[in-house]
Amino acid sequence: MLSIELFPLLLGLSAAMFTVGAVGVLVRRNPLVVLMSIELMLNAVNLAFVDYGRYLNSEDGQIFTLVVIVVAAAEAVVGLALVSQVYRSGRELDVDDLSEMRE
Amino acid sequence: MTAVDLLAYVVAGVALVSAAGVVLSAKTIYSALCLVGNMVSLAVLFLLLNAQFVAAVQIIIYAGAVMVLFVFIIALLDPGHDPDYEGPRRDPRLWVGIVAVGYITAQVFALAVNGTTYSKADHVLQGQRLAQAANPGDQHSFAFDPGSVNAAGNVQVLGRELFTTFLLPFEITSLLLIVAAVGAVYLTRRLPHAPAEPPGATAPVAALPEETAPEPGRETVGVG
Repeated sequence: MLSIELFPLLLGLSAAMFTVGAVGVLVRRNPLVVLMSIELMLNAVNLAFVDYGRYLNSEDGQIFTLVVIVVAAAEAVVGLALVSQVYRSGRELDVDDLSEMRE
Repeated sequence: MTAVDLLAYVVAGVALVSAAGVVLSAKTIYSALCLVGNMVSLAVLFLLLNAQFVAAVQIIIYAGAVMVLFVFIIALLDPGHDPDYEGPRRDPRLWVGIVAVGYITAQVFALAVNGTTYSKADHVLQGQRLAQAANPGDQHSFAFDPGSVNAAGNVQVLGRELFTTFLLPFEITSLLLIVAAVGAVYLTRRLPHAPAEPPGATAPVAALPEETAPEPGRETVGVG
């Protein structure tokens, strides 16, 4: 059983992982790494959910963690389908070059 | 500090280092490997936090299914075309974004630790007491202490909650999965104007100096 002093540590780990994932989305140009950074951010949110749920004596955090896992799986499936289709259309995989939908 | 706390410190360090590895790795496959390490260490943390079912789901769905899909796509695409070999994006506005993200995260963390949910002075979570004082008749929220959950079983408690209180979100989740599956099948259909050749075959050789022609003797080796 974890002692309650670990609660801010795990919350800080969650915040740090979310920051690292957000910086990865901003910095990297490979769409696969961008998708993985989004997964990292969702994982950080999962950790915060379970952490709060454990120390508030509630099971709701775990339920929402399951929902977030399903959403992350659906996001990965759609994102990877887009990546493979962009690759098949004969272009470089660079998120800076994929800007036709902007205008 | 107990041995469990020490394990939590070690696993948290592993999770942080592997999270940094996802962003900092030059090759995409190393990023995927670091992400698997991150997910496994998070599953260990979930186990320590009395979330056994979520830990199992984390291993099976995330580290199993999702990462296998990522590795499959990485192996399917040409790894020589990784645009990050030219370095990360160099836009001065980017640093504003990074500083803003870090600042907001630090603010949210400070608010969560020192705010209404957690008192740093006596290490007490105040949200439960405040919620029960505001709504004394609430029998549902904050009712699952680890002892009673472990007596009934984590999977049983989660399943009962999922199919009674959270039935509508559960059904919407299943709808989302169907939409994602249909959308992925629609997106990956063969376009009528798509070139038949993959881009690696038609790319100029000058842009890819590491891509050399195969040796002429290689095809005839298997004959003799």
